[in-house]
Amino acid sequence: MTQNRVQIVILCEDLQQQVFAYHFLKKRGFNIYPKNLTIRTSPKGKGAGEQFVRNHYAAEVKEYRRKNYRSGMLVVLIDADNETVKVTLKELDNALIENSQELRKPDEKIAIFVPKRNIETWIHYLRTGEVVEEEGEKSKYPKFPKNEAICKVGVEQLANQCSQGSLDENVPPSLQAACEELQRLLPLLNNL
Amino acid sequence: MLKRIYIDNFRGLVNFEMNFDSINLFLGGNGSGKSTVFEVLRKIQTFVSGDEKVEGIFKSADCTRWQTLQLQRFELEIAGNGGSYKYEFAIRHNQEKSHVEYERLWFNNQALLKSEEGEIKIFQDDYEEVVKTSLPSRLQLVGSLLYLFKLDSDSTKLDWFTKRMQRFIIVQIIPSLMLDGSEKEEIHLTSRMENFVSWYRYISQDQGKVAELINVLKDILDGFISFKFEQFSENYRTLKLRFSTDKDRTKIIDYRFSELSDGQKVVIALYTILYCTESEDYTLCIDEPESFLALPEIQPWLIQLYDFCIDGKIQALLISHHPVLINYLLASPIGYWFERQSNAAARVKLISNEETENSGLPISELIARGWLYDPE
Repeated sequence: MTQNRVQIVILCEDLQQQVFAYHFLKKRGFNIYPKNLTIRTSPKGKGAGEQFVRNHYAAEVKEYRRKNYRSGMLVVLIDADNETVKVTLKELDNALIENSQELRKPDEKIAIFVPKRNIETWIHYLRTGEVVEEEGEKSKYPKFPKNEAICKVGVEQLANQCSQGSLDENVPPSLQAACEELQRLLPLLNNL
Repeated sequence: MLKRIYIDNFRGLVNFEMNFDSINLFLGGNGSGKSTVFEVLRKIQTFVSGDEKVEGIFKSADCTRWQTLQLQRFELEIAGNGGSYKYEFAIRHNQEKSHVEYERLWFNNQALLKSEEGEIKIFQDDYEEVVKTSLPSRLQLVGSLLYLFKLDSDSTKLDWFTKRMQRFIIVQIIPSLMLDGSEKEEIHLTSRMENFVSWYRYISQDQGKVAELINVLKDILDGFISFKFEQFSENYRTLKLRFSTDKDRTKIIDYRFSELSDGQKVVIALYTILYCTESEDYTLCIDEPESFLALPEIQPWLIQLYDFCIDGKIQALLISHHPVLINYLLASPIGYWFERQSNAAARVKLISNEETENSGLPISELIARGWLYDPE
């Protein structure tokens, strides 16, 4: 019979980012149900994930712009790794330029979240309050393969803090930037 | 080749019309009417064959639920025999009784059969009227007249059409239902392919085609050597497949058809349909051919099917939800998009290449997201 139309597209690197983003949007009050959301995750797992997101970003932006009423929002997650958040965002801009797309405009419902160093950095902070962003300190925080749901408690807490503007002072700057990105987006969203 | 179908008042198909090419892909959501088109084709085939009375084929419960009309109308156009056939008939349901309201067949716009309002006219190939009769007023036709007037040869235009209707293969392959034994040869495949072995007995009379099929299957199925029938009684036979267990092909094991996996059965069925019907003016209607197949098996079969279709050796109507099939076949504009709202008629439109050309996403992804067409 009638087919539901996807309104939210999440483009991300791996399963951990996927669980994080899905749960965050849900807790933040977005109208998420299985048929209005689609998730594109790199099939190759860590390592190739950034490349996957960069490669598909331009196509998703193009599609968003082509018929933007179809897609309520494009949510992109990409780890900064050794780069800064700014450089990572610049790389995504370059992907648009290479594909003859204009740069992202402030009134477009395209949200980019860039964990520094990666999503596990955020999860580790949310679980312990400890900020571990540098390469040399990588071994200090764990990853949670096959237990990605462990982030959910912290994500719920983050969603509350984000909406109330009550993030801790020592929050990783990239997480602070992500909250700001979400706040920028909220006035643009009517039906989501 | 089937060129057109018209269906009115059959479930979600109301005043519904489709035109066809040599290869056609039906796409759309669940319940949008794709399989119903196949079902109607099968019913028309059974009707023309004379195997069942009209009441056994067309049920009043299949009239469109949100209408009260008790008349179902069907039309087919088929190109072949050096011209173009148009066939049309209607079934009227009156409580539990059903009868043929009218039935007509034309070739190049010249009548071959006309049965309407109690009067029957049959025409020769030169369109001269040879039979004209009237039915007693209380007598109603409960079957197709094509069956009554066929001569079991291709000698007349009317017979050619009747025979052509037999060359529709309309299936949804369900491997667990496929029997490995057979009492007799069967010309028609059943809708779930239960009688595959009996049909293979019939089709394998053409040894040239079987040899070609076996050669192809040798490349597809590791160790496959040949088919073998084992006779258990005067008529009953089971189909076995011979596989070698070593490279030298000295050790051979015969497996019963039922011992194969579901996927292997479907692979064999799909290639058999393809190679045993090619160049014989068949129309293959296959509902989700990719079901049960491992991913690497899908595209090789599609490539071969596509090749036969573009060479005019086979006509194919496929229903699929699989991205491999969709993305491969929709490189050409051969897709039809089915759409239906609750309690409303199915609508169908040709999928243009414009959608895919303007998007950076594969067409299967657009379909999955519900973005292929805009809401109206």
